[in-house]
Amino acid sequence: MNKFLLATLLLTATATQAAHHEMGHMHSPKSHLHDTMVDGQKLSVDAERFDNFVNAVLGDQIVVISVQGMVCDFCARGIEKTFGKDSTVTKIDVDLASGKVLLAFAPETEINRAGIKQNILNNGLNTVAIQFVGK
Amino acid sequence: MANSGAQSDNIYWHFTPNIKYSLGLDYQKDKISGEAFPSARLTYLINRKNTATSQRNLYVKTGFGLDSSDNHFYSLSGDWETRRLFGSFSAKQVSGIGYDLFEQRVKLGVAPYLGAYGDLHTWLMIESKKDDLDDKRITYPVLRFFKGGGLIEVGYHKKTDWDIHLMYRF
Repeated sequence: MNKFLLATLLLTATATQAAHHEMGHMHSPKSHLHDTMVDGQKLSVDAERFDNFVNAVLGDQIVVISVQGMVCDFCARGIEKTFGKDSTVTKIDVDLASGKVLLAFAPETEINRAGIKQNILNNGLNTVAIQFVGK
Repeated sequence: MANSGAQSDNIYWHFTPNIKYSLGLDYQKDKISGEAFPSARLTYLINRKNTATSQRNLYVKTGFGLDSSDNHFYSLSGDWETRRLFGSFSAKQVSGIGYDLFEQRVKLGVAPYLGAYGDLHTWLMIESKKDDLDDKRITYPVLRFFKGGGLIEVGYHKKTDWDIHLMYRF
């Protein structure tokens, strides 16, 4: 009986999540802001995710942080919590799959690259790259 | 954090001032001796290696009884995980709680799907442990679920019955 309950619970969770992820991979034919060239490099971010993020904070400065060691939700929550305390940050998005953290800052904000790296390090993770979009 | 297993139940609060260490208070009710053991605990991160797809950690942990320093433990533990795979080990020496105990644990896991941030995450795991009290290795399945700041882990072995682990990160 116990084995049956465990198996049922597992199958339900797996099926629900699989359906959710299939929907998440559908791309909209909207704008292609993710193609923005930054520091001479092309951004490697989830296209739809990035476009949605930028469209929600039009006019703000966008920073894309590539992070090492971000393998679970607890890491991601720590990052979100840390930057959430920063009043100059207008929006945060953490993408576990690509190891990217997207931050939006108000247009007049002087962005502190060293401060961003330190905040990531304080969460036990490492910053590989910080890219500024549109600067 | 709360655990309920064959040998003891315990509840543990800890605070992590920085990534290198955490300080905590533990209240353990031992099922073998029948006694309660409140203790202060320290966890120190010896080494962490982050890569684009993985994180590996090595920790030392120790705890001392609040009512008697004869009650103490120390352990060495480590883990390695990607979004798909998980492995951990621990070796723990416990003394003064009515008996001495050396315990070894190994756990391996796989995630059947890769959830995005905020989704329900599921892990299928297998845990193997051996201690001095019963010098025989037991191996059993464990299911881990976590979502947001909450984690629940449930293991079952016919000999030791249920092994339940609850955790919430604020």
